[in-house]
Amino acid sequence: MKYSSLILPLLLTAGMAAAQIPAEMEGMEYETRADGTFLIGGPTYAFDRVMGAGGMHSESELWTPAKLRDRLLFNRWSGTPTWTPLDPGVWIKTGNELGDMIYQDFITESHRPENRTPILEGGFRSPAYKGFWATARFYQDDHFCSGSYVYRRDMVDGNYTHLGSNWAMFSTVYGGLGYTNSLINASVLAGEEFLWTYTATSLWIPAHYKPRVEARADIKDFSVTVAYEDIEYENQHKKEEGSRKEVNGSVYYKCGKACEKGMFQIAFRAVDDEGDVFTELEEDRVAWPFMELRVQPLQRLTADVTFGVNERDWLVQDSIQFVAPAPENMGVVVGVKNISGSRMNPLADTKEFYDGREIDLTADGQMNLIQAYASYVDTLAGVVAIGGRGSLWAEHGAETFDVDEFMYSEKFGMSVRTGEVSRINDWIKGVTAELWLNTWYRDMFKFTAMAGYEHISGPVDNAEVTPAEFYSGFMGDWLLNKTFKISHSLRYRSDAKWNLRSSNPMVVKGDWTWDASFSQMFPKYGITLTGTILHVLADESMETVNGGYDRIRFICQAKKTF
Amino acid sequence: MGKLKKILLLVAGAALAVFAQEDSIKVEDIAFSKAYLAIEGGEVYPFGDLSDATYNTLYGGLNFRYSYWKNVDGVVMFHYSYFKPRPDVVPYDGVHQASGKLGLDWRFPAISPIVVGGGFACNWTRADLDDGVIKDEIYSKPGGTLGDNETEFGWYARLNLAIWNFRDYRVGLNVMWEEIWTLPKRSDMLFVGLYVERKLW
Repeated sequence: MKYSSLILPLLLTAGMAAAQIPAEMEGMEYETRADGTFLIGGPTYAFDRVMGAGGMHSESELWTPAKLRDRLLFNRWSGTPTWTPLDPGVWIKTGNELGDMIYQDFITESHRPENRTPILEGGFRSPAYKGFWATARFYQDDHFCSGSYVYRRDMVDGNYTHLGSNWAMFSTVYGGLGYTNSLINASVLAGEEFLWTYTATSLWIPAHYKPRVEARADIKDFSVTVAYEDIEYENQHKKEEGSRKEVNGSVYYKCGKACEKGMFQIAFRAVDDEGDVFTELEEDRVAWPFMELRVQPLQRLTADVTFGVNERDWLVQDSIQFVAPAPENMGVVVGVKNISGSRMNPLADTKEFYDGREIDLTADGQMNLIQAYASYVDTLAGVVAIGGRGSLWAEHGAETFDVDEFMYSEKFGMSVRTGEVSRINDWIKGVTAELWLNTWYRDMFKFTAMAGYEHISGPVDNAEVTPAEFYSGFMGDWLLNKTFKISHSLRYRSDAKWNLRSSNPMVVKGDWTWDASFSQMFPKYGITLTGTILHVLADESMETVNGGYDRIRFICQAKKTF
Repeated sequence: MGKLKKILLLVAGAALAVFAQEDSIKVEDIAFSKAYLAIEGGEVYPFGDLSDATYNTLYGGLNFRYSYWKNVDGVVMFHYSYFKPRPDVVPYDGVHQASGKLGLDWRFPAISPIVVGGGFACNWTRADLDDGVIKDEIYSKPGGTLGDNETEFGWYARLNLAIWNFRDYRVGLNVMWEEIWTLPKRSDMLFVGLYVERKLW
């Protein structure tokens, strides 16, 4: 059947994909995913671990070439706030955590609920004129800003945002010019940004980028990115101030067939710190040359290797995947994946400073993760697909944190820790089993049900997070008259636990949650109007130590594409 | 057609009962093929607990209606009202409210000329503070949070009754139920208004 030949590979790789619920901001797609443990601290920080990925780490902790244009926030890669120019169009977005009092305020004298906070975005990118275009964007996410609110508010001078006074976790404005033709896609953007970054001590560190300038050029298969950042730091609690001037970027060659011979690429950072900067990059610079290689000795067999090394660190990520012969309408893939290295993210800062103490962010030795997996998918009658994925993994030397001391501040309701990044010098083993069912009718209706289970053995409480054991998700998308879209997602995750960020481990209770999105589309005019409600049903909970509350939020967006 | 397919069709069909699948090109042509602008005025009645919080008040504004599908119109409404608080402890005279609504109207031939609609609502509010009042000082008093802008979302459902049609004009009655997702309780209000609508194209 023709249909299955198109859909099979998709189902095998993306069978577990999230429903089409738009995230509140780009880079926050984890907030609508079911297939793992996704604990949100705020728009700039989440523990995001996909169950099938294996190992104890979360996705953002691991450096990969795919993240070259993501932002490095402290030691993690974040898609928020992204500086990737959007497609030509004009758009506006606003939303709010539900639960402001409005007129209830007149009659609510005691137990007044905490103020709820909004999200705001507006921007445009012009159509190209002789290849040239202009873009500008303002975006700010005030959700989750209750995280250590009072501490953060008094840490900085002024409102620390472009709009309002909620001490939003990020507030960005940029503008710039670009040029696009069939060979080249280039842009230069400049802007100002307020960012809060979650660190190893569990503090949020404010950074004011003034300016940040980023230039990108994709010339055929070459991609070059260079960013200049002039960052100011402050902590008014201790009257500390400092600044960092940073240049970072990468040169990358997307090689197709040429990869069989191996290609050389590089990512780099250089910083110049003055005064009180709360983190440090050893020798003020890091260069990370790496190589990507894909070998396909047989049509069914693919081997991928990514290898990087510099004077401090090395990191290898490789996988071998075999597409097994299978009956028509069925697909079977088996594979082995390995990650070994001295550091998950060799581009990150190497030290954090708190209260006169040093927190070493590098650990001696190395980590090794090996995972064997098999996945299959079977389509029935072209309208139903059933799939599954099972894996076994074992990790030695997983990165973790060796705590010296926990400090709890009654005044701010915050827990801070000191110590150093270390390793779990023991084997942790896991077994995962995931099943899903997809059904669809033309482009009108899609439904996915999925469930996953993972059992982990070994000293798992020595890891930062004990991930959820079980998840399930039910996603449905309807497209009515090809112009009205309804998407929804109902999910459950079992308990997860932060082991090392407070003197008593913080359990994030398992819960059901429901998201729904409605879009009116006018294809002839390129207009889309979308209303999305996130995180309904679930209890309002804090999912990260010192993080913000995950509340019900409503977001609406109007967009016109050119 | 397989049995399974039939069952699935039925499931999908049930969800789509009111929406006949129309030809996509036709659907695209219907969207915005007609558009109407209306001026509306009426009264707002707070319900439940909210009737202890504010007095009834008047509202006025503009409605924009456009064809979306064959029997479905898109609606964008923008209304202004000024709410006066009932409790004396509230440290100001009233609150400006701008309410935006975005939704759909369904014309069911069976109940014509009544049109049923629903959608999302977004209310922006700001207290009408006297000069010299410092926002931070009143913040923890009843009504204090409205010293700064506050916005909250919700939903609405409405009955739209065309009373009189004449050439490009229509006079009608709009009865709307609005629920805003506030805390500690939801805020419910009823809008009853008359509108005069003119066909734009």
